[in-house]
Amino acid sequence: MTRFRFTVAAFVLAGVVGGGVGLATGQTTPKQGGHLNMMLREDLSQGFSIHETSTISTVWPAMPCLSNLVLFDPLKRVESADTIIGELAEKWSWQDNYKNLVFFLRKDVKWHDGKPFTSKDVKHTYDMVRAAPDAPAKLRLSPRKDWYANVEAIEVPDSHTVVFRLKRPQPGLLAMLASGYSPVYAAHVNPATYRTACVGTGPFKVKEWRKGEFIDYVKNPDYFVKGRPYLDSLRYVVIKERGTRVAALQAGQLDVSFPGEISKTAAEQLKAAVPQLVITPVGTSVNDNIIMNVKKPPFDNPKIRLAVSYAIDRKGLIQAVHQGGGVPGASLPPRPYGVWGLLEKDLTALPGYGKPEDMKARARKLLGEAGFSPQKPLKVEMATRAIAIYVDMASFVINELKQVGIEASLKQIETAQWHAMATRGEYQIGANLTGIGVDEPDANFYENYACGSPRNYSFYCNEEVAKMVDQQSQELDPKKRQQLVATIQKKLEADAARPMLDWRLDYFTVWPHVKNLVPHHNIYNFGRMQEVWTTK
Amino acid sequence: MKTYVAQRLGIAVLTLLGMSLVIFGLLRLAPGDIVDILFAAAGYVDPEARIEIMRELGLDQPLWVQYLEWMRQILTGDMGKSYRYDLPAWEIIRPLVPVTLELAALSLIVSVALGVPLGVISAVRQDTGLDYLLRVFSLAGLSMPSFWLGMVIILGLVAWIGWIPPVTYVSPSENLGLHVIQFALPALAVGYRSSALIMRITRSSLLEVMREDYIRTARAKGQSGGVVIWRHALKNAILPVVTVIGIEFAFLIGGLVVTETVFNLPGVARFLVEAILWRDYPVVQNLVMFIAVVVILSNLIVDMLYGVLDPRVRYGN
Repeated sequence: MTRFRFTVAAFVLAGVVGGGVGLATGQTTPKQGGHLNMMLREDLSQGFSIHETSTISTVWPAMPCLSNLVLFDPLKRVESADTIIGELAEKWSWQDNYKNLVFFLRKDVKWHDGKPFTSKDVKHTYDMVRAAPDAPAKLRLSPRKDWYANVEAIEVPDSHTVVFRLKRPQPGLLAMLASGYSPVYAAHVNPATYRTACVGTGPFKVKEWRKGEFIDYVKNPDYFVKGRPYLDSLRYVVIKERGTRVAALQAGQLDVSFPGEISKTAAEQLKAAVPQLVITPVGTSVNDNIIMNVKKPPFDNPKIRLAVSYAIDRKGLIQAVHQGGGVPGASLPPRPYGVWGLLEKDLTALPGYGKPEDMKARARKLLGEAGFSPQKPLKVEMATRAIAIYVDMASFVINELKQVGIEASLKQIETAQWHAMATRGEYQIGANLTGIGVDEPDANFYENYACGSPRNYSFYCNEEVAKMVDQQSQELDPKKRQQLVATIQKKLEADAARPMLDWRLDYFTVWPHVKNLVPHHNIYNFGRMQEVWTTK
Repeated sequence: MKTYVAQRLGIAVLTLLGMSLVIFGLLRLAPGDIVDILFAAAGYVDPEARIEIMRELGLDQPLWVQYLEWMRQILTGDMGKSYRYDLPAWEIIRPLVPVTLELAALSLIVSVALGVPLGVISAVRQDTGLDYLLRVFSLAGLSMPSFWLGMVIILGLVAWIGWIPPVTYVSPSENLGLHVIQFALPALAVGYRSSALIMRITRSSLLEVMREDYIRTARAKGQSGGVVIWRHALKNAILPVVTVIGIEFAFLIGGLVVTETVFNLPGVARFLVEAILWRDYPVVQNLVMFIAVVVILSNLIVDMLYGVLDPRVRYGN
């Protein structure tokens, strides 16, 4: 099935399953008041300290408390530079040929503890995140430090102006600041406090966090957007058992599913049981991929890495593992789920996207050139995280590899060990999932493919690609940048740097009384809840 | 009697000391620690930050220092701080305890209320159709894991009537009716399995007693069947049943993990698993010690009950 057909299929399903793509927005006048119960699959891992985690389990429930400088428009499903709106920043301006990004802040913003919000808070936050030498405070962990590697200094000419001074132009910085992963913390609050409490400027204030049970929010009466939020309160209920979560949604005890939670099969079952549920297929910005340790034999041999990539039938995987709930794509999400993904014609030319038998023949040939044959198969250990969604994918991949003469045994790694193992390179080949916080090449390339990045688990390092990544990062002409980004993606797949298998879809589910909660094609960026209202 | 209780309490202290060493050692043997988990949630590893966090949490200290520190905390009534939540461990554990104790007690009530009478009926009607039916009922209870039964109950309810018990904990003071409903179904799911065991023990014990001479004598004296069974036979058959009930209660305290998870009840067992996955040593260590105390106490109570139920049992030196 072509990518176009996949896309069409997804939207047809939206029509059949969801009664139409998208949720009702602006169909009736928004109503003030009401309460919603939201789904959580685990408790917050680091409290409300979004800057110290990389998990949707923190971002989704913590977002209502906090605000960004800028944010992707909550009412627009596709995120791009054109859908960025101001939050704490009233307006912004690129100056000095995109080397200075100046934010003009709102003057009517108060923290939940009543203190005024100023430019010092912004400087404090981003100096902490990028671990600036003169930062007044320190985060325990800062997983997105590299996003701000190009920031030379953050200056505060006055109490409501902030200047991000860059080493070189970087138009993509604004998109990274618009991610749900980029909230502003209060300078007068110890950053450690965010692990147990939340002093934000967001539309909702934390009323109670009962550990392992729920988080209760109440409307922030001093929220800087007048007339928002519409809802009086929110409750995020932690339900560990998947069956119970879905049953609670079906029974109406929960009003909204958790982003990335509902598979295609579950969506079909839910719709059959409760036809009025509104189900919207959206991208998740989470991909399945293969990591191969290029520092260790046999994957230090590019031919063997490429053979692995050729061997895996992407479309077969999407059908078998996700029952069609995914789309093929390279290292950035394909359209319409993202704006930087490769076009259909480019994608079909990549390893693993052609006819499965032809692809497998190419894989066998490459293995033969590397000295392996059916009589002398390549034996490897495939590591994966001991979680069903990882193991299912790994099992499919192992079966595919077997067909070309690679005998892989599965090694399940506990969550506690997974990232440590991957970062230290204590593996040969692994089946991995990667979530991209924002559909922006800089965020993805520097995080996952840059030489020496702690999340570059394959240890892939290519000077030529690194130069191209820097080049696209400072390219001001959007068309030229798009071309460069496409070239990099093709190169990464041709090098089998981290072969992409698919981009997962979510079947975001809400009850029909929930209005204006527009799921984005990226699970990390639409949890603010200020525009959401209910007819209940 | 006092000497016996003192002896038992002395042994209990030694048992708890042994337990503390075992749980401390086992936790450290498990691969990974809280810092690995924190980095897992962040998706990367920074060796320098790792060292700093280890130091911050006292995990860089030698194991014997960490163990002694824990013992010092216990003796001073301090349970340490949860690594995960950065809050006093007791503050987290305290609200969980009543939930688990209530669920375990209710499950035990269900199991005794079902198991003992059905066991008696089954023994009295030995080898009749009713006996076979009850034996099948008990076998089914033993064969069905309570978590599976719990999930079937949840899925069945939502499929048939579109309703499930509340998924957030409702305290009795908040809404007594909802509270009872919330606990009734998991107590039934867990109690059914336990009742099956109690029923089988009651049946076999009663059958054995009913073959005794004094039962024949009682019958020969013209006492009614009910009096013979309830006053003479059951009283003598109940000791093994009480033992099983004690063991079951102890088992329930730690064994409710999946039931609490399926019914989303915020109890000790569910939280313990979560704490183990997070390698939250202070919470795990103290929760396990709490469970150990409950197990030891329930065993002691059962042993004390022997004396009440069977006058032949005497405690002394």
